[in-house]
Amino acid sequence: MEIYNQLLKQLVLLQYEINKFISSSIRQLDDTNYLTTSLIIVSIAFLYGVVHAAGPGHGKALVSFYFINNKTKDYKNAFKIGYMISFIHAISALLVTFGIYFIVNKMFRKNFNEISVIAMDISAVMIITIGLYLLYKAIKDKNDKEQEFTNSENKSKLALAFSIGVIPCPGVMTIVLFCIMLGHFTLGIMAAIFMSIGMGLTISLAGILTVLFRKKATNMIETKGFYFEIFGALMIVCLGLFLFKY
Amino acid sequence: MIKKIPLMILLYVINLFAHPHTFIEIYPTIEVKNNQTNKINFKWVLDEMTSSMLIMEFDQNSNNKIDEDENIYILDNYFAPLKDYNFYTNIRLNDKIQFFPKTTNFKATIEENRICYYFDIQEKYNIKDVKFDFGDEDFFVAMVLKKEFIEIIGAQAKIIDLDNDFYFGYRLELK
Repeated sequence: MEIYNQLLKQLVLLQYEINKFISSSIRQLDDTNYLTTSLIIVSIAFLYGVVHAAGPGHGKALVSFYFINNKTKDYKNAFKIGYMISFIHAISALLVTFGIYFIVNKMFRKNFNEISVIAMDISAVMIITIGLYLLYKAIKDKNDKEQEFTNSENKSKLALAFSIGVIPCPGVMTIVLFCIMLGHFTLGIMAAIFMSIGMGLTISLAGILTVLFRKKATNMIETKGFYFEIFGALMIVCLGLFLFKY
Repeated sequence: MIKKIPLMILLYVINLFAHPHTFIEIYPTIEVKNNQTNKINFKWVLDEMTSSMLIMEFDQNSNNKIDEDENIYILDNYFAPLKDYNFYTNIRLNDKIQFFPKTTNFKATIEENRICYYFDIQEKYNIKDVKFDFGDEDFFVAMVLKKEFIEIIGAQAKIIDLDNDFYFGYRLELK
């Protein structure tokens, strides 16, 4: 646990420094340094996304459990799902931030909290449904001896990405809102996009590592595959239930 | 170790959606007399991004400072409810966590575009017995404590990294 704790410390301190750097850089923006500083800010926002998603959260565990359940050995799928999540994450954060800022324009935090709770409940229901579906699929596959991908599996991928991504990331929202408040709308959107690309990279990595694990453990999975799938599906259901309670 | 694995998975899952979005720098000022704390004051400095959102709500008359009525509003609606979180500070006496004592002289300010909270604790502790553990168990807030943030009069301070398994924290010890 000592290694995990030290990793957590370094992730926190790195985010703390990046957060300070981005906010002071945005505040110092003026006509003379706009382009260069903006480019630096979006680059740092990308790094912020990578580091931010490396800590607990952002659905890395869900993605891993999904690929434990899934028979895919294709890294592209893991990459795709990571970026689907981060894309929906960014859209959701931008919509909520702009919506609240322009429509409500005050009491930001209270309104955000309410929206966040609703989004989490929606997300929890979707995650539980996906888990139950995967559970059903694993049992059905065992009976039918089917090993091929179907359209319904692609739909489950999209549903999984949506269920995680629908929760707007407060980290992205904070940067966007900070930019809006200082009058840098375009920069806010660009920072959100680049931060999400960074987060997508980290989330994809969780899926890629799971696929790698499945590849390495092929023999065991061939014999115990059914139990892995059941375990993955059950963990997704549990995650949904915990999120519902959270 | 094997027995710990299910617990680790469970705790990781509970904390699945928790990661810091707010950073608070802690500046403790502690005066020690005869091996007893005489005055304890904490200053919290919130990160600039979070501060900018809070200023939108706190500074109702937009004069870029916190007036008395605004201070009362922050105290009642934002600071006092943090009691449920032990003000992100576990005070340990002989390694037992104490009920967080009453805070006094709360004051919120805006300094260099950042929200600052100042507050005192009147309780007196023997410096050999007391430890201050800073951290948010929900890990939504990251508390940041650095050597240069600490001012101890009449004793010396030691910072220890806390291994809280699923969130990160600091311990302040006096000697």
